Amino acid sequence: MAKRLIAYTLLAIGVLVAVLPFVVTFLASLKTGPELAKGVFSLPDDAQWHNYRQAWVQGQFQRFFANSVIVAVGVVIPAVVLSTLTGYALARFRFRGSGLAFTYLLLGLVIPLQAMVVPLYYVLREIGMLDSLIGLILPQIAMSLSFGTLLMRQCFQTIPRDVMEASIVDGANSWQSLWQVMFPLGRPMVGTVGLMFFIWTWNEFMLPLVVNINPKYHTLPVGLMYFQDRWTANIPLIAAGATIIFLPLILMFLLFQRQLIDGLTQGAVKG
Amino acid sequence: MQTTATGVERSSTPVRSSHRRIGSLEPWLYLLPGLLVFTAFMAIPTAGTIVLSLTDWNGISWNTALFVGLDNYTRALGSEQFRNAFINNLQLIPFFVLLPAVMGIIPATIAHQLTLRGGRWFQAGLFLPYIMPGVLIGVVWAWILNPIFGPVNRVLKQLGWVKPPVWLGDFTWALPTVGMIGAWAAYGFCYVVFLAGLKKIPTEQYEAARLDGAGFWQEFTAVTLPGLRGEIAVVLSINLINALRAFDVIKTTTDGGPGNETQVMALYMINSAFGSNQAGYGAAIAVLLSIITLVGSMLILRFAGDRDG
Repeated sequence: MAKRLIAYTLLAIGVLVAVLPFVVTFLASLKTGPELAKGVFSLPDDAQWHNYRQAWVQGQFQRFFANSVIVAVGVVIPAVVLSTLTGYALARFRFRGSGLAFTYLLLGLVIPLQAMVVPLYYVLREIGMLDSLIGLILPQIAMSLSFGTLLMRQCFQTIPRDVMEASIVDGANSWQSLWQVMFPLGRPMVGTVGLMFFIWTWNEFMLPLVVNINPKYHTLPVGLMYFQDRWTANIPLIAAGATIIFLPLILMFLLFQRQLIDGLTQGAVKG
Repeated sequence: MQTTATGVERSSTPVRSSHRRIGSLEPWLYLLPGLLVFTAFMAIPTAGTIVLSLTDWNGISWNTALFVGLDNYTRALGSEQFRNAFINNLQLIPFFVLLPAVMGIIPATIAHQLTLRGGRWFQAGLFLPYIMPGVLIGVVWAWILNPIFGPVNRVLKQLGWVKPPVWLGDFTWALPTVGMIGAWAAYGFCYVVFLAGLKKIPTEQYEAARLDGAGFWQEFTAVTLPGLRGEIAVVLSINLINALRAFDVIKTTTDGGPGNETQVMALYMINSAFGSNQAGYGAAIAVLLSIITLVGSMLILRFAGDRDG
């Protein structure tokens, strides 16, 4: 019994250490400066929601948030569709060069952004995509494809061949059997893959930092960094900005905990 | 439609051959859009890094690029700055790699032996930092550890420590502090991977160890550690990659400072390429960084993972 108690206490401390910084940040976002100076754990006397309005409007977080959403949607949906197509091609067809194509597409698992960001900047400059959202979207689709292809191929391979052949017997061509049979059957994996893409895109920092100088095209992480530089002393305001970034993530996490943990522990192998 | 149906009645071969007739082109049509995007925004820039690393180029107009062979590499390897950054990355390893692994394996072992109630919630709480952007982690900890506004030093002062360190701004403390932030961000991830691994170890092995009179520690070294070999390899190599590529948290907490105390390879690469307009030199550092990371993670996988298969 005492052993159990010690074990639970130890685990609770582990959880507390992991979660407390976020709790404290959220609390700080609702306080005034002097109130915060008195203590970080206390509840705010009178919730200062205007901190959020100030971060949202004056701090431009509305723009950063909108950019982040546009980029996330612009990456996740096409990346899922393209991964579905490549995964399907590699799982269903036997053809000359399939092994090569697969290996080629997997290169992204070992090549991190850092290994290609310098030339990527100049490629984007040549095609006029610096300081734009599309300049963030296209490279991140490419960066997602390796992991997506790997998982979607695996997923389609586990679907019994008979299922697909049955749909062919019904007269479906490969395109129809993909969208009418295979894709619906692979939906759980599609969800996991999509979630991974979302988290990676939402959190991406180096690419937007390098590619977009104009604040008009900043996403939340880069926006937060410059925001912190500008408002160094106004902790409640910074805390409000930080909360705007992590609340959607926590929400997502609560909704899709299982897939997220499974996906990220697998996806961590991604370069 | 009818021919396919009758074809199937006889055997399944005609179905396959009808694919062959549509041509070997069909799979390529599915692959095409993915291959195009991948080639344009992944393969070409990657190849570009290697090409660029052999040139001296200010990044402004293409015709100023000059082929210089391996000069950038010799320059990087001989440069005090690069070596300093590399050593800092190495110094992050105990914090980013070993510490979170230890901080994860202990609670995982405990949780596993207890058949915990509410395990899902413990897991969720512990895992939370791992899904957060590095920038956010950096900004939050920069505040918590801020010598003037931060709660940590306020508490330390109340406890009677008159002049606590300024942590991220301190020449001695900055690097270990950044390291601790990295450890904090990773230990929940290690916990989850280890716990999943522990569940795969057959309980008979523990029973057998207990019959042999093994204590907690003997059980840990004789059953748990060998049983987790694969997971340990994965966790260590991922953590190592994170230590060698560290960027987001450092950029937002110290930006390499104070002085160059927390300068790391990735930051030096970005600063060289874009801050001081030496695209070729930056690319060479990117190549070195990639090679170092690859070698490091391969070494770990070989040492820890191989025997397990």
